[in-house]
Amino acid sequence: MLSDDERKEMLAEGHIGALDDAQSSDLDLLAELLADESTWARPPTAIGDEIAELIAREAHPDVAPVTIDAARARRNERRRVAVPILAAVAAAAAVIVGLVVTRSSGPSTQFSARLEATGLAPSASGSASISRNNAGFRIDLDTHGLVPLPAGEFYQAWLKDSRGTLVPIGSFSSSDGHVTMWSGVSPNAFPTLTITIEAADGHQDSSGRKVLGGPVVGR
Amino acid sequence: MSSMALVDNEVERGHRRAPQGHCSSVARVERGVLEAFRRGEGDAVRHVYREYGGLVYAVAHRALGRADLAEEAVQQTFLQAWKAAASIDVERDPAAWLATIAKRVAIDIHRREARRPAGKLDDVAADDPAVISLPPDAEALDAVWHVRRAIDRLPADEADVVRLQHLEGLTHSEIAARLGIALGTVKSRSHRAHGKLAACLGHLREPVT
Repeated sequence: MLSDDERKEMLAEGHIGALDDAQSSDLDLLAELLADESTWARPPTAIGDEIAELIAREAHPDVAPVTIDAARARRNERRRVAVPILAAVAAAAAVIVGLVVTRSSGPSTQFSARLEATGLAPSASGSASISRNNAGFRIDLDTHGLVPLPAGEFYQAWLKDSRGTLVPIGSFSSSDGHVTMWSGVSPNAFPTLTITIEAADGHQDSSGRKVLGGPVVGR
Repeated sequence: MSSMALVDNEVERGHRRAPQGHCSSVARVERGVLEAFRRGEGDAVRHVYREYGGLVYAVAHRALGRADLAEEAVQQTFLQAWKAAASIDVERDPAAWLATIAKRVAIDIHRREARRPAGKLDDVAADDPAVISLPPDAEALDAVWHVRRAIDRLPADEADVVRLQHLEGLTHSEIAARLGIALGTVKSRSHRAHGKLAACLGHLREPVT
């Protein structure tokens, strides 16, 4: 193993005895920094995608996060437009609706997600099962290893589509355990589940401080 | 003088002439990429991150001492850089500009972590910033920026030798055995690399501006 003095001798290219005090001090600092893990540390490549996503949402407010209220309003609008059409085909629709109601009257697990930790919470893990019923999509989330947050902060769960549009599906305080949340949008259209750390600061957008995330897959 | 005051003074000094020779501040991304970065185009953001993410991460890691906080600092640095991108000089290497933002962000995160509610000391990691509450040393952050930049400019095979020598403390013979190359090759790479580092790091304590 090299000693610190041997490393400094290399850095000074054999001229360590000729250095003045300032140069000697610089040499000490350089030797210290080259032996510091921080100097050589490399960030995960995935952060680049997360940064691009954050900036895209800020740069294009037309695809800003969709709120639950907005999603509900869109659903109501679709429902209002659909009524005359359904009336025109009442007999056939009755049969179809009957079949759909029969199939969806009880909850059944239709999606699942395995959530991977990010660097912000490297020891965390999570999973979710998602079932549909007449009220929407019920998300049963199990998380482990999430640290308790300081006052004023909380964990926020989101469903995300391929354009990066986020729909908030619920928040929780901290720690291990089971949480039940609800979504008005389908995981078919929003196939990624993420958990971020948020602050109660009046800003509704995601902070980008993601701790868990993973794809939602059909069962 | 506090670390924060030092950072503020660096900003007030404005532009500094870049060092000459092969260490000069040649932009690593083209003007068009920086213009696309301004517009928030995803490919340009990823390109700028690939070129400078390591530099920013090294500064943040040195300041915060934890990978998770450093990653958060990197995200916030690039987001703030984009928000301020209207003022960026696309003809200039943005590295120093990013480093200045990174230092500010890292110091802010350090302060935030230092304010976190106190728990039982037994429950807190020894390297938790809440325990070690000294503010990051701005001079050392500038220095780590200079060193990382010089390392990033080395060919990969020379950088590997320097890392094994200084981070892992291996001798030439141990490096030759580790990499499976001739002892003479290790010595020549080490000699070339240290010569380049010496040329690039003559002003190690200069503020990054």
